[in-house]
Amino acid sequence: MAYVRVQGAVKFFPREDGSEMLVLDRVSFETKEHGITCLLGPSGCGKSTLLNVVVGLERLDQGNVEVLSNHRRSARELPQLGYVFQDPRLLNWKRVENNLTFALKGMGVPRTEWEERIQKYLGLAGLREFRKQFPLYLSGGMRQRVGLARALAIEPEVLLMDEPYSKLDQLTARKLREDTLAICARLQQTALLVTHDVEEAAYMGDRIVILSARPAHVVETSDNPFAPPERDLDDPTFIQFKKKVLKTVLSLVEEEV
Amino acid sequence: MTDQGKILAAQGESASALSNGLATLNRRRPGQINEAMKDIGLRIGSILTLILIWWLLSLFFPPTLIPKPSATFAEVANIVSTGNFFSEMGSTLRRVLVGFGIAMIVSVPLGILMGTLRNLESFFEPPVILGLTMPGLIWAVLMIMFFGLSETSAYAAVGITIMPMLTISIWQGTKSIDKELIDMSRAFHASPWSKIVDVILPQLISHILAAIRYGLGLAWKVVVVVEMFGLSNGVGYQVVRGFNVFSMKAVLAWAITFLIVMIVIEFGIIGCLERAVTRWRPRVEAWRR
Repeated sequence: MAYVRVQGAVKFFPREDGSEMLVLDRVSFETKEHGITCLLGPSGCGKSTLLNVVVGLERLDQGNVEVLSNHRRSARELPQLGYVFQDPRLLNWKRVENNLTFALKGMGVPRTEWEERIQKYLGLAGLREFRKQFPLYLSGGMRQRVGLARALAIEPEVLLMDEPYSKLDQLTARKLREDTLAICARLQQTALLVTHDVEEAAYMGDRIVILSARPAHVVETSDNPFAPPERDLDDPTFIQFKKKVLKTVLSLVEEEV
Repeated sequence: MTDQGKILAAQGESASALSNGLATLNRRRPGQINEAMKDIGLRIGSILTLILIWWLLSLFFPPTLIPKPSATFAEVANIVSTGNFFSEMGSTLRRVLVGFGIAMIVSVPLGILMGTLRNLESFFEPPVILGLTMPGLIWAVLMIMFFGLSETSAYAAVGITIMPMLTISIWQGTKSIDKELIDMSRAFHASPWSKIVDVILPQLISHILAAIRYGLGLAWKVVVVVEMFGLSNGVGYQVVRGFNVFSMKAVLAWAITFLIVMIVIEFGIIGCLERAVTRWRPRVEAWRR
């Protein structure tokens, strides 16, 4: 019951020589409630910066980011956002279950709920029998699953994912995309996924926001005509849709060249 | 930094590499076991070579200058069996440990603060660097003049000598901490306490262990000096007694017993500690080719 609204986001980064570089150029979009919104754009266009702004790791120079929620927050209470990073960013010295409790503790979830949450979300992520393992003994895909379970365990208003599959091999990534999609559908999770992969955006996104190369502005926002179960990577009509998105993105890249 | 410190530190490193090797030995394929055995053989060979050179030299010098290894080891056995070894060694170790504890209590927080806060880094850098260049001998003299011939001066001298080295090690370790994990902990609203205990300290453990290894070498040098100056027990005192009667054999025997104790601490205690706190890290790549 929450969504993110970004309005006129402007962000400069300082260059080495002291001058400033425009990264985000009046970016505006809204996420789809209970669905996955994909921010699709070329590498280095400022997509990850946008996520960092949403989660509060970086500040905007202009514009604003709101996380709207039914749950009324006091002014000082922070929105509950679950972040899945590009690298899993786990605490490798903690067992899988304790990586989850680290987040639960931080987000102020009462200790009595921890056990239930660990079981539920490790189960959803397919990690039930790995809860006592140390992360470095798991494969890359498994570690990314731990990252996903950690973000889901806090039962976030919005799940934020920053190219979470880009460092995985193709098959592992494909399986993890399927599972993430199924989990999000089951939880009715509002999510914001950043990616530079057109197929991934077409497959995962209920809404696709296409961003230009740096400085990023929104080129096109469109809702996915296919519901999650209908997205078959080999189906001709779905391929057609994928091609349409690809064309838009390619035209952006050509402008650059 | 004196040569003795470097040698002790080097011994610390090789001893830990050896204990790592032993810990992983049973997981290896036969070829790797042979490699491991060869490595251990080389290390033992190195020690035997040193003793051989010592023995050759002893053939050309009178026993008052270079006693025979056999006579010295007999003296070691004598020291250990007569009973005062344990109380003397106990006194020295206690001084080292208390001094060490004091240094850790100051250095760990100070190092972390210097690594995280720029202003504190600038403020504390000069005293820490100055402290590092100050010879342990001078600290020993200063502490004895200040606290008198007491246990306190031994604790203080040990503590203050190793403090700069520990602080630098933890400070530099803090600076090399994974910033992305800090961002992660911010994204999940981790409290400052949780950031320190769950995110920062675990990344510092290997730096702290390295500092402990090197610090032990420094601490032992200083404590011996304090004991030589005026305490009435401890290994340093015994060495001075050996010196006063010009018994090279006794001086060497006490030095050797101390080296043996240091190796036991290094292999047994620190090695076990290291294995316990790095259990989360798969050990396969720890073996050098």
